[in-house]
Amino acid sequence: MAESEDSGSELIKIVVKTPKSKETVEIEATSTITEFKEAISQKFGQPVEQLCLIFAGKILKDHETLEKIGIKDGLTVHLVIRQKVGSQQGPSASGSSAPAASSTPSAPAAAAAGTAPAAAPQPAPAAAPFGVGGMGGLSGLQNLGMGSANFMEMQQRMQQELLRNPDMLTQMMENPFVQSMMSNPDLLRNLIVSNPQMQQLMERNPEITHMLNNPELMRQTMELARNPAMLQEMMRSQDRALSNLESIPGGYNALRRMYTDIQEPMMNAAQEQFGNNPWASLVGGGTSNPQQGQENREPLPNPWAPQGSSTTAATTSTTTASTTASSPAGQGLPGGLPGGIPTSGMFNSPGMQSLMQQMVDNPQLMQNMLQAPYMQSMMQSMGQNPDMASQIIGNNPLFQGNPQLQEQMRQQLPTFMQQMQNPEVQAAVTNPRVLQAIMQIQQGMQQLQAEAPVLLPGLGVPSPSVPPAGGMPASPAAPASSAASSSTDSTTSTTPTPTTASASTTSPSTAAPPTGPTEAQQQLLQQMLQTLAGGNAMQPPEVRFRSQLEQLETMGFVNRAANIQALTATNGDVNAAIDRLLQAQ
Amino acid sequence: MSEAQAALLLRKQLGDLSKSPVEGFSAGLIDDCDVFKWEVLIIGPADTFFEGGFFKAHLYFPKEYPQKPPKMKFISDIWHPNVEKNGEVCISILHEPGEDKYGYEDASERWLPIHTVESIIMSVISMLADPNDESPANVDAAKDWREDYNGEFKKKVRRCVRKSQESV
Repeated sequence: MAESEDSGSELIKIVVKTPKSKETVEIEATSTITEFKEAISQKFGQPVEQLCLIFAGKILKDHETLEKIGIKDGLTVHLVIRQKVGSQQGPSASGSSAPAASSTPSAPAAAAAGTAPAAAPQPAPAAAPFGVGGMGGLSGLQNLGMGSANFMEMQQRMQQELLRNPDMLTQMMENPFVQSMMSNPDLLRNLIVSNPQMQQLMERNPEITHMLNNPELMRQTMELARNPAMLQEMMRSQDRALSNLESIPGGYNALRRMYTDIQEPMMNAAQEQFGNNPWASLVGGGTSNPQQGQENREPLPNPWAPQGSSTTAATTSTTTASTTASSPAGQGLPGGLPGGIPTSGMFNSPGMQSLMQQMVDNPQLMQNMLQAPYMQSMMQSMGQNPDMASQIIGNNPLFQGNPQLQEQMRQQLPTFMQQMQNPEVQAAVTNPRVLQAIMQIQQGMQQLQAEAPVLLPGLGVPSPSVPPAGGMPASPAAPASSAASSSTDSTTSTTPTPTTASASTTSPSTAAPPTGPTEAQQQLLQQMLQTLAGGNAMQPPEVRFRSQLEQLETMGFVNRAANIQALTATNGDVNAAIDRLLQAQ
Repeated sequence: MSEAQAALLLRKQLGDLSKSPVEGFSAGLIDDCDVFKWEVLIIGPADTFFEGGFFKAHLYFPKEYPQKPPKMKFISDIWHPNVEKNGEVCISILHEPGEDKYGYEDASERWLPIHTVESIIMSVISMLADPNDESPANVDAAKDWREDYNGEFKKKVRRCVRKSQESV
């Protein structure tokens, strides 16, 4: 390995990519990840501790070297900058309690016990009688290092000690003094409240204040605390406790320690032991307690999440071939369209645009999408509601910059819809080959636009009107076609229709002179259908099956001639073509 | 022969992904000698409860790939309606075409040979953000998701996130 590379101090360039940005970092090939992180830290201005590097499905460990992992010149590494963890916590908390809580099952309860009495000698007036000296007299506490002058340190040691020795906790809790302390709710409350960390926490989380202000709740909590057996039970429930914690997003970090340590395990234990404990509701279904702070229940803003989790969205979300686009589509369409109002913006959303792009690149996706139930309902509602159709036209980025074209489309839409109701037209349009042919016309127009823009105005077309992408106009046209097909109740026919429609609507709009939109449009449609009937055989297969060819190539079938042959034989069916290709080998 | 083809195809994808990785995940082999077993680290998508997590998953490709779909399994704990409790990912595109054992999926929703590691993982990432409630693999998670999205569901997801961070 090392011999072949001979990379003593050779500099390599590594691309470091975060979700937002990309930087190239130059570093010696033999560097360790720590060194690499330092270099990145300078580039991105983020502290080393917050950097997390990912390469080849692995999170890189600090001690590894670039060489060993196989990071070579020119490769890319993912960088995730973690949020500051622990910055809100007190100095002692971040070190000891966080990892401890999750690593040992006994941790939170143990720590709970650790913190509660530990809070005692703090400046609270109620705590005054329990000076360090006084505490020293307790058999349980003495072992915990009460002699230490530094309170924080003591607290830490106490927690560690407790973690190592659950028995000690029991012993301590059984101590009459501790018990008597625990049996006084007011005192306990004062102890807790006087802890500055806790104060901070309470400011942020009214729930906790509420809990502490509820003497009944406090009493029950203490009841639990006095019962060693129950405490044991609590220790076992630590995992749940941790998870319950998180219903309070804001104060999570600060909360983690105090809240887990004191309240949650107890509540959990209580919940488990007494099913209908009056305060069990605090943990679970927060709705049952009206006093619980409502602001904390707000979900994070989530553009992807289904709104009201409509079922149509759910059905389609995991559906299709190219997924990133399918997801926003699944969301956007059923949410926005059948309701009929908030369509504006839909077509401008990046999701929709990328969907359009994908539709163009991938006819399969388009088919899948059009089969989706929401599409049909959308089209139906569009058919019934011309306003919406025109709204969509207005919103389509393609038409936005071109009022003339928009107007044309608007005028032609009703006629076109009528056309589409003609069974013959429908039949023609449901033929997959027809669809393909129309795609080609579309592509031809694009090509024409690109190669010879001068020609188009001559044909009566305002040049910017030619769509940059073939699939774009599908939306205005789609309603027409499906309105047609749904009216005759031919479900299967809906699939390829809209693509066809897309091409046909574009074409009329591009070719029709402003004189008589209806006539020109009919003419064009006819022309088109003739083309369709006459045959795409005229098109060379590499044009006809362009997208399929691309698919095959990306799959690693590099022999273009063989690919074309297979596609021709299978009439463009990629799956069948792959079968053939594999068999041929 | 087809095994060689599958290996070729997978090698190519691996090369592409390491040269120009895709946003949101990172992929490599579990064992450099076996191109049929992949290891993927999915970065919890932003603005979801999964944000901040690093979820490790394995992909097991059959010799018949791309004719047959790979199996995907989360190694990290993950609480999601479409992931079995043992980590197996249950999404329609990973179901073999042919007889529909689940009774509700279109052929077009199921496996197609055009799927790549990238398209699979992108599907999974989008699934994380947007579960398919209709065919839950983890019924309890689906119930949480439906009934207590911001409560129980979120708690459990966040716990997985934290766990995944700690295992770093």
